[in-house]
Amino acid sequence: MICADLKVVRLILYLSWRDRLLCANSDMQQSRARLFKEYKEVQREKVADPDIQLVCDDTNIFKWTALIKGPSETPYEGGVFQLAFAVPEPYPLQPPQVRFLTKIFHPNVHFKTGEICLDILKNAWSPAWTLQSVCRAIIALMAHPEADSPLNCDSGNLLRSGDVRGFNSMARMYTRLAAMPKKG
Amino acid sequence: MDSDDDMLDAYDDVESGEYDTSSDRDDDDDEHGHGENETDCGYLVEDDDSSTSTRCSQVNYVVLKEEDIRKRQEDDIKQVSTVFSITNVEASVLLLHYRWNVSKLNDEWFADEEKVRRTVGVLEGGSLVVAVDNPRKVKCGICFDKFRRIKIVPVVCGHSFCSTCWNGYVSTAINDGSGCLMRKCPEPSCHVAVGRDVVEKVVSSEEERDKYDRYFLRSYIEESRKMKWCPAPGCEHAVEFSATGMSASYDVSCSCSHRFCWNCKEDAHSPVDCGTVSKWILKNSAEAENTTWILANSKACPKCKRPIEKNHGCMHMTCGSPCKHQFCWLCLGAWTEHGGSTGGFYSCNKYEKAKKGGLYDEAEKKREMAKSSLERYTHYYERWASNEKSRKKAFGDLQVFLSEKIAKLSEVQCIPETQLTFITDAWGQIIECRRVLKWTYAYGYYLPESEHEKRRFFEYMQGEAESGLERLHRCVETESEVFQDGEVPSEQYFNAFRQKLNTLTSVTKTHFETLVKALENGLCDVKSQAACSKETPSKKRRK
Repeated sequence: MICADLKVVRLILYLSWRDRLLCANSDMQQSRARLFKEYKEVQREKVADPDIQLVCDDTNIFKWTALIKGPSETPYEGGVFQLAFAVPEPYPLQPPQVRFLTKIFHPNVHFKTGEICLDILKNAWSPAWTLQSVCRAIIALMAHPEADSPLNCDSGNLLRSGDVRGFNSMARMYTRLAAMPKKG
Repeated sequence: MDSDDDMLDAYDDVESGEYDTSSDRDDDDDEHGHGENETDCGYLVEDDDSSTSTRCSQVNYVVLKEEDIRKRQEDDIKQVSTVFSITNVEASVLLLHYRWNVSKLNDEWFADEEKVRRTVGVLEGGSLVVAVDNPRKVKCGICFDKFRRIKIVPVVCGHSFCSTCWNGYVSTAINDGSGCLMRKCPEPSCHVAVGRDVVEKVVSSEEERDKYDRYFLRSYIEESRKMKWCPAPGCEHAVEFSATGMSASYDVSCSCSHRFCWNCKEDAHSPVDCGTVSKWILKNSAEAENTTWILANSKACPKCKRPIEKNHGCMHMTCGSPCKHQFCWLCLGAWTEHGGSTGGFYSCNKYEKAKKGGLYDEAEKKREMAKSSLERYTHYYERWASNEKSRKKAFGDLQVFLSEKIAKLSEVQCIPETQLTFITDAWGQIIECRRVLKWTYAYGYYLPESEHEKRRFFEYMQGEAESGLERLHRCVETESEVFQDGEVPSEQYFNAFRQKLNTLTSVTKTHFETLVKALENGLCDVKSQAACSKETPSKKRRK
């Protein structure tokens, strides 16, 4: 009796495991297909948007990196910043996880981890966004920092106290240190 | 439809009852008695009629069943859609956005319809666009695959997403929580709201549709300021409360028999106010890790030291044989020292006395202020918790009595069940009194020590009430058992029992009414009553 029961239990476990795997696979298939389309789009658009350079990992389509140019007339001008994308399986129903690999002094970017506080990467995500449009949104965030919800409090405080000059020089310094090719 | 009419009738009655109360405010006794009876009905779970609402003459609240809530919600939607001449779906979107506040929506809509439409995301001429089959293929904005027009879900704003992606989008939102009610079109720049019709069209899973439906229903209650869900686990009723400013109490009793304070959603706690209760509950949770809880649950027999867990309602304990020691659960003193016969009256509510009889002397008390405050808290907590336990026990006993014992008793004693309601009434009274008594201990804890007069008066009344309640509880718990077995079949004895129980019930009721009234007006007539309280103990002694 016990043996038979165990067999049944094992079978049920196997079936549920297989179902979950199949489910996950179908999710994964969908996001893979969509990412592949984005990949092709990026290849075509490369020339169209000179500020963004999206690169897919050679072995894993769920890992991407991007190089974005600091927007002009900001302390980030002239810098090139590297972003890392980790795309979850339910993508595009869930947003990708993005962080700065290049050190940046910005109120909405964590100074140590590079985590980005941006509504479209959290609750305001829409599946119609793409990795490319996320990059565009991040460039827009660099140009328009949101000092009232800071991840980097020092940076946020400078802006909130009205010390734009202090903020600019700090941000500029870190851009020079981390995001520009070293001279000599 | 019948049930709806009933509900409306009951609703009308409530309103008229309310006016009666205000006009007959002076006639206290009558009014109070009436109110008490009505309140009793609340927890006697006799599904006597199919009326959809429980009403209470004194307090103005209505218990709403799910059908009632749906009906009201639909009525609101219908009203808005008729007045604005829009579809029901659009009306629900608007109402969701305006938190079901019909009048606010009305005002803003007629002030600036364009603006409301824009902010909420309801386009003009917004009934569903008809799908046309067009040989040209369209790209879905989510999966980027190309589809024939017929595969694209037609929506008002005209943005094209395939049905699979729509399903994924809406399902994800539903599984994320109530935010699914306020979703916009997936196109980031588009503000058009996703209405119920789209949800029903694109979501195939029955479970997710149900979930959406549930959120939709819940929002109607949760956004409302006049309605709240009954906090009892598993209960799906809501209670609408109309504050009139007349009655200080927010106590309501749901038709699931759970009684709670509508204001703070804790268990019903009149006559003690919400502030004291929340302080007390916070205090309890902070002290919970101490041994105080264990203290309230098991004690050693003062004579034979065997650990005893109390599983009967009243405080009169009898240790198991061979010890058979009778003692008071609260003070652990011999029961012979309790009650009127020995000259001392029930005084276990008096912390002062417990302290004197205990290990404390004045010097030690000063040195160990910290310890004493814990002791003081323990004293009140124990009594609070025992009364709560007794209340629960009594509630269970009442259920057993109603479901089993009443029929048996009626058979053994050859008395119709309708004539046995005096026992049910006694149980009802006990449950209500245990509840009040429980909260008076929270009140007592926060009553400043410096207010000697008030404290004495309060403790005196509490003591009177408690001793009456103990007598009643004891009587109904043990004496009714005797008749159960048919060992004392004499009608004479039973009549004596009936009379005794009736008297005890009414005496206890009077005591508690006095106590509640005194606490409700903050013991403000302490001056006039002080003299009285000095006299009465001697009177009692003579009895």
